[in-house]
Amino acid sequence: MQYELRTQVIEPTRKTFDNLVARYGDRPASRYQEGSIDIQPKENFHFRPLWAPDKEIYDETFSVLRLTDPYSFLDPRQYYYAPYVTSRAAMFDAFSATLDYLEERGMFDRLPERWTELFQSVVLPLRHYESAAQMVSCDTARFGFGTTITQCAAYAAFDRVGNAQLISRVGLSLGGGSADLLDAAKTSWLQDAALQPLRRLAEELLVERDWGVSLVALDVADQLLYPLLFTHLDEVALDRGAGSYSLIAQHLSRWFKDQRRWLDALYRAWTSDPELGEANAKLLAEIVDTALVSGRAAAESLAAGADLLVEAGCATAVDESATTVRAFFTSVGVPVKENQR
Amino acid sequence: MTIANKASRAPKKLSMKQRYQVLTRDLDWEPTYVDPKDVFPHTEFEGITIHDWSKWEDPFRLTVDAYCKYQAEKDKRLYAVLDGFAQSQGHLTLTDASYLNAMKLFLQGVTPLEYQAHRNFAYLARHLNGPGPRFASLCQSIDELRHTQTEIHTLSNDNKYYSGFHNFQQMHDRVWYLSVPKSFFGDALASGPFEFLIAIGFSFEYLLTNLLFVPFMSGASFNGDLPTMTFGFSAQSDESRHMTLGLEAIKFLLEQDEANVPTVQAWIDKWFWRGYRVTALIAQMLDYMLPRKVMSWKEAFELYFEEQMLKGLFADLAFYGITPPRHVEDAIAEKEILSHQVYWTLYQFSHAAAFTTSVPTAEHEKWLAETYPETFDKLYKELWDKERENIAGGGRHFVRGLPQLCQVCQIPMLFTEPGDPTTICQRESEFKGEKFQTCSNGCQWIFEREPEKYVQAWLPVHQIYQGSCGGPTVPDVLAWYGVQEGDSGEHRGSLDDRRWQEWHADSVKEGN
Repeated sequence: MQYELRTQVIEPTRKTFDNLVARYGDRPASRYQEGSIDIQPKENFHFRPLWAPDKEIYDETFSVLRLTDPYSFLDPRQYYYAPYVTSRAAMFDAFSATLDYLEERGMFDRLPERWTELFQSVVLPLRHYESAAQMVSCDTARFGFGTTITQCAAYAAFDRVGNAQLISRVGLSLGGGSADLLDAAKTSWLQDAALQPLRRLAEELLVERDWGVSLVALDVADQLLYPLLFTHLDEVALDRGAGSYSLIAQHLSRWFKDQRRWLDALYRAWTSDPELGEANAKLLAEIVDTALVSGRAAAESLAAGADLLVEAGCATAVDESATTVRAFFTSVGVPVKENQR
Repeated sequence: MTIANKASRAPKKLSMKQRYQVLTRDLDWEPTYVDPKDVFPHTEFEGITIHDWSKWEDPFRLTVDAYCKYQAEKDKRLYAVLDGFAQSQGHLTLTDASYLNAMKLFLQGVTPLEYQAHRNFAYLARHLNGPGPRFASLCQSIDELRHTQTEIHTLSNDNKYYSGFHNFQQMHDRVWYLSVPKSFFGDALASGPFEFLIAIGFSFEYLLTNLLFVPFMSGASFNGDLPTMTFGFSAQSDESRHMTLGLEAIKFLLEQDEANVPTVQAWIDKWFWRGYRVTALIAQMLDYMLPRKVMSWKEAFELYFEEQMLKGLFADLAFYGITPPRHVEDAIAEKEILSHQVYWTLYQFSHAAAFTTSVPTAEHEKWLAETYPETFDKLYKELWDKERENIAGGGRHFVRGLPQLCQVCQIPMLFTEPGDPTTICQRESEFKGEKFQTCSNGCQWIFEREPEKYVQAWLPVHQIYQGSCGGPTVPDVLAWYGVQEGDSGEHRGSLDDRRWQEWHADSVKEGN
């Protein structure tokens, strides 16, 4: 039994905005659709940018990678601002709970010394890599073409500075509240031989002018680094009594899983484009082949450093990740080269 | 390699400032594998000198986790209000359907600017050399995306019942009066990062925000629009961060090098007048479109601009050698005539717009006469008296021709000579043998500073004549705009008005 509430019923005269009716038919639209589809201005821009007089303010030629219809790409997570910040608030709550627990229980003190050193020499310096990743993502957020893509990139940029802050908080915690370990990690980032291929990769991404190329190259590097550091080493840590490493790693690997969802969908959109799919696949193959070389060099150097400390089969793990990366790109129609070693 | 000495791990807590420093700024390093100049190629060509980016004072110290938590809570509350209002047919409690003309103007004219701000703050978040301003810009970038989307979601329910909302993005790109805000913002987007900071971060978000943005939200609150008012409150804390960023930006540029002062002054001069001209649309909204008035344009201008900015802000900026904006005296002199001139023009061209207009009621005229004792009865009342006669004779007045537009602000040439409210002001400049018309001393000065930029303007009227807007007749152009029946023209008897009457008659009949 339920009570009956009388309300004034007025039939709406429209279900949603015209552009969505034209795309999806005359039916109610989601908030993701209303807030994302066709939002980037399309024509009559008035002025050419002073810094790029050959381009429009929004111009698809800022990248070689293009979509016939930019809105053929949709974020599978359907993130508009509200669900995005809601999801991230929960992620950070979970991370803070972990960090509180580790601090309360003095867990970092119980970490085997070599794992503490792994945190310091391998994980903490990555906050600088995350910082470069933030800038690369901002570049896509400005120069990318179509709101569905640039919106994901803007959130990714915010995520990357969030990751950098998360790693920094681990550093502060490991350092008993002081920033000494973070300062040392910065010196390592600038000087340690094991980190130089990664720093070179990061710096080279910052001078790449094609947002599509830098986005893909960054993602290829991510696909080698994240599984190594936050999946493979997580497993090993559990076997070696380094539980706090695993407790931290889970948050980064969970984020990376979320990040993959939009990027994988973007690759599929690029390669399945009815007109540009084939051209995109060829371009992607070149970009990925090149990125795999520098990405592998960076990951292998990091892996060697990690193996020296904890002998965890990291070199093999990078090999396996590279195979997975190639298999993934092949599966979405990108003709990447066989293992080049 | 440093290894933490476990024995000496006494907690040395960092201060909030140090902690923020560690979490944001210390992430940067000086590149060595590539030329650092190539990493930031956009910060030299404007002639601004920055000696030390670390001198940027972070205007707020939000970390990503705190930001997400706070914003998620705000959005939860906002969307709850939107859902409740939609479910209870809250739109029926607005003062009148004609109120929504203000919101149509907002969705068509302002929301797309929020979006463009989002994109270009991402540009600053990539291209400013300092990590402090980059992070602040990134926060603002995603805030602006929030505003775009929450505005669309707020007005989405009105779109289901009323005209004029249904095609706002395409209208922003194509419709003549919307090229005023669009070209204003495009001008800033086409500039370098420092000019954008002054144009949008400072002039738009600080100097003029109480005249540009706040009147819509106050109008909502006075006219029963709970969702828009809630949106306005929900955006308030974001906006105050943006205002602090704008203020810090200008101080930073001025403090870094004395040679920056004249460049910044010229940008303030330009962007004050550019922004002020956009507020012409707001002035008429406040004085004519809102059924229940908040305050007059004149009062708003005196309080928010003359009091707060000229007497407050510019007194502070004088320390740096900054003077009040050029042409400010022309703006002050216009405050009693601006809204009347603009509305009279929009009234006559509303058959080609996506909002509706009407002759002021007797009560409204009384308010106008009281609020503008020097000008309304003397200059504008007779226009409306005559128009009432036209309507009584069955001839509501629409102008069939196309107006000439100002080459800079793109408003029809409707403004008058300073000190002479009956003579239309028209300025002419020459560039590469061609003549260009502007509406005022301010716009002419802006044109002559950068003629090569303003000759690029996509002027809607020129474009219609050139045949790029769907065809030569008004119905052709309106079809190309995506305007539908009910969007435009006279409000009384319009689709929205008729439905409004029906819905309210029903509720009386049912005794609700």
